[in-house]
Amino acid sequence: MAILRRWYVAIALFMALILDGVLAYNLQTFIFHRSFSGSCWLTVVGITLIALCDDKNDANIWLCLGLGIIADLYYLGIIGIYTVAFPLICFFIEKSARFLPEVFWFRLLICLVTYLCVSVYVFLMLNLTGLIQLSFASFTHSILPNLLWCLILAICTYWFWVKLAEDYPFLKKEYYF
Amino acid sequence: MRKFFKNKKLLTIFVIVILVLSMLSISVRLRNKRQSPFLVQKIGNDTVSIVTRVVNWPINLVSNGVANVEDLFNAQAENDHLKKQIDNLAQTKARNSSLEAENTQLKQALKLKKTLTDYTIINGSVISRAADTWSDLLIIDQGSRAGVKKNMPVMSGKGVIGRIVEVNSTTSKVELITTTDKSTNKFAVEADAANGKKVHGVISVGENNQLAFTQVVDGQKLKKGTRVYTSGMGGLSPKGLLVGTVKKTTRDTFGLSDVVEIQPAGNLNDPSVVSVIKRKVEE
Repeated sequence: MAILRRWYVAIALFMALILDGVLAYNLQTFIFHRSFSGSCWLTVVGITLIALCDDKNDANIWLCLGLGIIADLYYLGIIGIYTVAFPLICFFIEKSARFLPEVFWFRLLICLVTYLCVSVYVFLMLNLTGLIQLSFASFTHSILPNLLWCLILAICTYWFWVKLAEDYPFLKKEYYF
Repeated sequence: MRKFFKNKKLLTIFVIVILVLSMLSISVRLRNKRQSPFLVQKIGNDTVSIVTRVVNWPINLVSNGVANVEDLFNAQAENDHLKKQIDNLAQTKARNSSLEAENTQLKQALKLKKTLTDYTIINGSVISRAADTWSDLLIIDQGSRAGVKKNMPVMSGKGVIGRIVEVNSTTSKVELITTTDKSTNKFAVEADAANGKKVHGVISVGENNQLAFTQVVDGQKLKKGTRVYTSGMGGLSPKGLLVGTVKKTTRDTFGLSDVVEIQPAGNLNDPSVVSVIKRKVEE
């Protein structure tokens, strides 16, 4: 059980990744509405909050890289979308976390900005590879729903991610070795 | 230029960007070209799908429970409607079986073994879908073990909803017909015009993500409500799968051909059970 504790963050993020697809499928009538369509990324919220709370842990970036590869292959069948987005957001948030206030509202704001950045990146990359061919106008339609979903997911899971990152940091030497 | 090459940080970022872009283009090319993904990817996807099914189980239990209660409220109205239909059913069944027998006899007389309309069905359930809003990809619980192959059409509700784009051992990815991916295989379709002639074209996605029957010459002759079926041309889909009904006919931006807007027949908004269509006639 003690060995498992150091993997709690990895297990939680993996489950979040699975839940992304399951929620997207089960709530598709609400999420993927023709004129009001957003993305369901619990993983992005999880990574953001973990990187904010456990900012001195480089292992998180490698974990995000692994998760990104799984997400890319399982959901899209290609490599280079989440494989880049997940470790990149983790890296930038960890580097800037020391300058950011550790309060709920500010962390929520960071979650919203990150969610938006990921959606811009995913939209651009999918367009660049030709997997979608949509105008920027269709992206602007998804901004508000994306922020709304992020807000819901972040508020619902905030305390879980913070507690997890603070009590069971991923493979942190000072804690487990 | 010399300054650029001396700046190690900038150079590293540049190399990483090039690497990411090449990785993306190679993997997209591989996904489109290969009949099945690499073994490692297959094993990974199948393993993740097992966890997905476990996570899905309690959620399905709750959502099915809610649906059952809803069905219970609608039971009386549905019962009345079905009672009216049942009288016609016996007659339709008898007519169907006599037509089927006649069809078989005619095929034998013409020495036809398999035609474009012959197909078998593999039923499956949707277990997950891509979480982003743009890539219209579903994951279903049937794969190569059940006989699913790449490019097979997929139906849900009354009509076609998409095509298989990736096949693993126990799961497959379905790209919805509403996808804007230009590299995907288009459905060759046909419809009966008002003058009795067949109108041929392909299905693509027009402006405002609207499904459209394009590359049509005599689109004006298609009346509103005309049914659009797959034509069996192109070697991927069988003939006669319902795609949708004609909604509106307009000219394309160049004024050269007609664009016929289609109301999809398949359940694109909430597909839970799907049928993968296996064409009997090989390519």
